[in-house]
Amino acid sequence: MTELLKANIWADVTFYRRSKLLLAFMLVFLLLTALQSLPPLFMDSGVQSFNSLQQIVSDLDFFLLILAGGMGLLIISSHLRNRSLKMVFTKPCPPELWLLSAYLSAAAMALFLNLVVLGSGVLLSVLWHLPVRMGLVFVSAETFAVSLGLIAYLMLLATVIHPALAAIVALIFNADLFYQFDVWTKAAIRSGNSSIALRMIERLFHGLYILLPMVYPFDKQTQNIHTSLRVMSGEWKYLLFSLGYTLALSAFCYCVSLFALKRKNHI
Amino acid sequence: MIVAEDVHVHFRTGLFRRRVRALDGVTLEVRDGDFFALVGQNGAGKSTAMYCFLGLLRPTSGNVQIMGQVPELGARLYKNVAFLPEEPHYHLYLTVEEATRYYSSLYGKRVSDKTVDESLERLGLAQFTTLPLAQCSKGMKQKVGIAQCLIHEPRVLFLDEPTRGLDPLIVREFRETLREIHQRGATIVMNSHVLSEIEMLANRVAIIDRGKVVVQDELHNLLTLNQELYRVVFEGNGSVPEYLTAVERTGHLVRALLPKARLSDFVELVRTSGMLLHECSLKKTSLEESFFNLVKGDATLTENANGNHGVSVS
Repeated sequence: MTELLKANIWADVTFYRRSKLLLAFMLVFLLLTALQSLPPLFMDSGVQSFNSLQQIVSDLDFFLLILAGGMGLLIISSHLRNRSLKMVFTKPCPPELWLLSAYLSAAAMALFLNLVVLGSGVLLSVLWHLPVRMGLVFVSAETFAVSLGLIAYLMLLATVIHPALAAIVALIFNADLFYQFDVWTKAAIRSGNSSIALRMIERLFHGLYILLPMVYPFDKQTQNIHTSLRVMSGEWKYLLFSLGYTLALSAFCYCVSLFALKRKNHI
Repeated sequence: MIVAEDVHVHFRTGLFRRRVRALDGVTLEVRDGDFFALVGQNGAGKSTAMYCFLGLLRPTSGNVQIMGQVPELGARLYKNVAFLPEEPHYHLYLTVEEATRYYSSLYGKRVSDKTVDESLERLGLAQFTTLPLAQCSKGMKQKVGIAQCLIHEPRVLFLDEPTRGLDPLIVREFRETLREIHQRGATIVMNSHVLSEIEMLANRVAIIDRGKVVVQDELHNLLTLNQELYRVVFEGNGSVPEYLTAVERTGHLVRALLPKARLSDFVELVRTSGMLLHECSLKKTSLEESFFNLVKGDATLTENANGNHGVSVS
């Protein structure tokens, strides 16, 4: 089993390393980040440098989340569409193991990229003579935890629907959108329009908001850490909560993906 | 070893979700140690049948079993099974060496560098080890497929058009390798359009047409489907008996076909007339002839096949 896991993880990591799509995406974003980090080099103000650092870390984390989701999406969709799984499942390598390897390889890549971002944050802090704040570690660890959930969610979507559709669902029809819709319909109901149709729509939006996975489940509690890059001692627990949420989400998505993969009529 | 019972596979394709019957009640049996060939036109359902055997395609109805087990994706029974697909469904981002190593390692055993190198060397891929599969020709990809197939000496081999795109030298070597593996006791199931190749290798053949098994039988039975006739060559100047057909004369030499029912009459004639008989042998049919006759709907032949050799015709 270990041999199989190792073989599959190695093949998947090779896939990420050689994916031109991921490489292009990474280069564009890194170029934008590099351009963004140029102005502070000519600034004397520590506040401006800190704001730039905070912005760069925030942008890179956002980029990492998209990249992590993209990795989850690509690893499943490319193998399903190339039908290369024929070569895997006609050997004693069950879908359970292959799916787990795909998840772990994407997680390993996400961890590596998070460490690179963390390292870049620390390096920039040193270069710009700013104190290295623990918030950088917190934000990186939280981004990694969140990306685990995103990987699993996108893997699930890629198993059941077309990858383009999966990307649209993840980017547009996500929990945030339905939360906004829920807020608007609730506001409309409070302002006097209490028709049955509106109440049903509000229930639907609320249900979808609850059902769909959240990117940052403890957004409100950790907002300050993201802006100040400072962590109070009582705030580390939210990192554990995030990790717990994301692991539960991953386990759920893994089971559903596995079920969908096994139920496919034609591999 | 491999049993398929009344397997139906239906697809829905196109805008109007038109229903297509890929397999229509296929019943096949591959016995332990068989070299079993599936023959049929393009789109007849050969690959579909193979995918069903391998568990890659879920039949709409019917049962499939390999070594007494229902084939599930990635099941343990695949430890002894190797599959070479028709289309190069490979991990195109891997190099030739990486792909061979990866596919071989999926059997859960460590494969030594030496084994991989020898395998690639044998197939003439030694100088292309670092070439990505995406840049390889179809023949080269096929060789990678063959390498990963043979590396673990499987008990059952599924080969879907194995020699497609291969150069003649490799085809010959591959054929010899298959013979060796078969002689060592492996069961081989092969789809192929190359009927001459099947004649050389297979011992049992199933002909599939439009999703149905037209005939499945021992190869030698199919090759003697038309053996109600004997080919005779004798010396004679006068008239020939009326029961001889397809008479050809070359000087004194007469070549003709003799119906089996009149064999004793002919032998008697030879004995009494003292004519010189050069040859009297069963007329041989090539697999190609049998295939065309069966697929193009020669009812007599199908009946012969059914009646004389216990062929199962659906």
